[in-house]
Amino acid sequence: MSAIASRPARTGAGAEIGRPVDLDLTGAWLVDPSTGREGPAELVVRGGRIDSLAWLEGASGDANERGVVVAPGFTDLHAHFREPGGEAAETIATGLAAAAHGGFTTVCAMPNTTPPIDRAAMVEAGRAAADASGSPVRLLQVGAATAGRAGEQLAPLGELADAGVVGFSDDGSPIQRADLLRHALAYGGMLGLPVIDHPEDLTQTSVAEANDGLVATVLGLRGWPAAAEATAVARDLAILAEVARDVPSARLHLTHLSTAESIDLVRRAKAAGMPVTCDVTPHHLALTDEWLAGARRWAWQALDDHGIPRDPWRDGALESEPYDSALRVNPPLRGAADAHACVVGLADGTVDAVASDHAPHTQVDKAVEFGLARRGIAGIETVLGLLLEAVDAGQPSLLRAIEALTVGPSRVVGDAAGAAPGFAEGAPADLVIFDRSARWTVEAEQLLTRGWGGPLLGRSLSGLVLLTVAGGRLAYEDAEPA
Amino acid sequence: MSTVLTEPSNGSKAEVEATSLDRPPAWPHRHLLDTDVLTWPQVELVLDTADAMAEIVAKRRPRSDALRGVGVTNLFYEASTRTRVSFEVAARHLSADVVNVSVGGSSIEKGESLLDTMRTLESLGARVLVIRHAVSGAPYLVAREFRGSVVNAGDGRHAHPTQALLDLYTLHRHISGGSLRGRKVVILGDVLHSRVARSNLWTLTAAGADVWVCGPATLLRGFKAWAAAGVGGERRFTVTTDIVAALRDADAVMALRLQQERMAAGLLPSTHEYAARYGLTAERLALAREGCLILHPGPMNEGVEIAPDVASGPRSLVKKQVANGVAIRMAVLALVTSAGERSDR
Repeated sequence: MSAIASRPARTGAGAEIGRPVDLDLTGAWLVDPSTGREGPAELVVRGGRIDSLAWLEGASGDANERGVVVAPGFTDLHAHFREPGGEAAETIATGLAAAAHGGFTTVCAMPNTTPPIDRAAMVEAGRAAADASGSPVRLLQVGAATAGRAGEQLAPLGELADAGVVGFSDDGSPIQRADLLRHALAYGGMLGLPVIDHPEDLTQTSVAEANDGLVATVLGLRGWPAAAEATAVARDLAILAEVARDVPSARLHLTHLSTAESIDLVRRAKAAGMPVTCDVTPHHLALTDEWLAGARRWAWQALDDHGIPRDPWRDGALESEPYDSALRVNPPLRGAADAHACVVGLADGTVDAVASDHAPHTQVDKAVEFGLARRGIAGIETVLGLLLEAVDAGQPSLLRAIEALTVGPSRVVGDAAGAAPGFAEGAPADLVIFDRSARWTVEAEQLLTRGWGGPLLGRSLSGLVLLTVAGGRLAYEDAEPA
Repeated sequence: MSTVLTEPSNGSKAEVEATSLDRPPAWPHRHLLDTDVLTWPQVELVLDTADAMAEIVAKRRPRSDALRGVGVTNLFYEASTRTRVSFEVAARHLSADVVNVSVGGSSIEKGESLLDTMRTLESLGARVLVIRHAVSGAPYLVAREFRGSVVNAGDGRHAHPTQALLDLYTLHRHISGGSLRGRKVVILGDVLHSRVARSNLWTLTAAGADVWVCGPATLLRGFKAWAAAGVGGERRFTVTTDIVAALRDADAVMALRLQQERMAAGLLPSTHEYAARYGLTAERLALAREGCLILHPGPMNEGVEIAPDVASGPRSLVKKQVANGVAIRMAVLALVTSAGERSDR
């Protein structure tokens, strides 16, 4: 780890978190999506600020993109930190620690806590909890779109905006009433903030358990059709088109898209100039519904040479026990063709961001029958690892993957995220250093989330995070190599 | 979960011939969660073992010591009479110590998790857990942690392996020629919600039957894709909404129970319309081969999915299914516990 040899020796665990960082990085592979440039570089950080950045040319740059990589700190558009009301599953403090382990320096927390974040005072309380945690990772708050997330009237959007929220969402649920979505888009647009919708037509998913496909049919799981997402996306876009004519600053962000149809709808809406953005999760890129039946191969391995999904029963790809409730998530893991469409959308820019949808749950809520398990994967610490698996498989490029974790999400939340991701001299350092060639095994003891279990436990991923620096201060540091 | 191998594996025939209650044959499955993991020789071993069990059942005072002192607990999260009693009778015939636990509603309503309930029953001496549960896959959760054997007595829409095995056993005993290879077997009705249909698809296609699945389109959702992919990725079957095509020249028809909830869910207009279009009547059966066998997993809605005269007619095997169920469940209990004895876990 010569690239980071100059970092101060680790002197213990949490005590160092928050201290200003000095770094002399030479010969690391630096990826800067803000300028579209990547290559060997020399980066100096003094007292937490970027002192200098010099790109190395030719022979002096012996680093390569498969070694130690430096990137701007990641921004997560979508995480559930469960505080208040669900502290047994996660707190703001444990969530921020897990985020830093994942390379994130900015996290947007969703408002579906108990009670939901629908008043300014609750935003302040969350901010105070983040400050008290000592973590330098920035906590941004998404406010509820409707009061109590009940879907009946608008939450006090102006009050929430004044308190600093970065968008409005009833995530966990869609905004079911189309008229309320319309009003939220217009009112949010007036405030300069996006509405973040979780697109799901609940009439098609009320008892659904698994993606409506071969796996659900064979396993006897109740089907969750792709159309339940596509119809919601189409509805949202039709409303947005009208609202945007009236309120040009209206913005819609569609979160955790999972199907080919909805990616395509967004692609066409963007081509038509509509003010829409979207994200996908790493698990919808890399995992498929085959995993419910016991397969454990990546989504891109589940397609044949002609892009046709393979049959895991025919292939003998079923290696684990079926019905692992760790895989129960909303939206459900889809088929390999849908996952491929998400990857293609990410590569071609239709998808603006990769968001974790970090959704921790307790053992009590998760170690139960598949159909009774709470939905969600606590994945903020494995976002990078899954994305790098996709990069290694051919697409997206490393630069594009990093872009979707930095400038992509930063664009969605706009100025609220603070300084734009990058390496501007004099600015506080906000960066992650990871070793692409170092593999690590996902084990419960290593994860900082309080969330129980997970579908990747026991698996090896590449991209060990060595150091995360947020706002010039230490957010996470890997233990010294033995 | 692995796929069924249709080719007999070497040595199995000898093992089958060596079958006796005193010396259980090699049987690798500590649990029976579905028929999908059974190789064809293993299916045959169940049927042959059931033959031996049927001889015991036929005695005036049926009794074997095969499971003497073994705790068999029937853990039923769904109301059931015939399956629960069938397992209980089977276990008693084998001299097992039987405990019945009926849990109204889901484990969540009861306030104790399925795994906690399992651990309690394990501490109370259960060596075999026979589980009926409304949620697909629930027995797999228990099997991951239970030290003894888990036998699935029906989970959600997913599987009912002992039913499929007793159906196969019954068909083998009564079909002319004694084999289903190339014979047309129709599964008729609410296939979508049927664990009986799913488990039967694995065993009937493994037996080489020409399997047809028939019902209204709303109750066949997803099955065309499965038929095209093939069971286990290879064994094709036919899916149709055309009951005339399905019944024509059929050698056996298995009618499935239609639940009232299907109307409330908007899947069907009415039971009346269902009976009119898909009810198994004597008139429709005229399309089938003479002597076409009739099965139903029960309980029957006579006059809905099956006409009373068909249900009790000369070709109906419904009562035989119930009787054979005891022999099959005795065989399954004996086999899974024999594997348990070999297992290190």
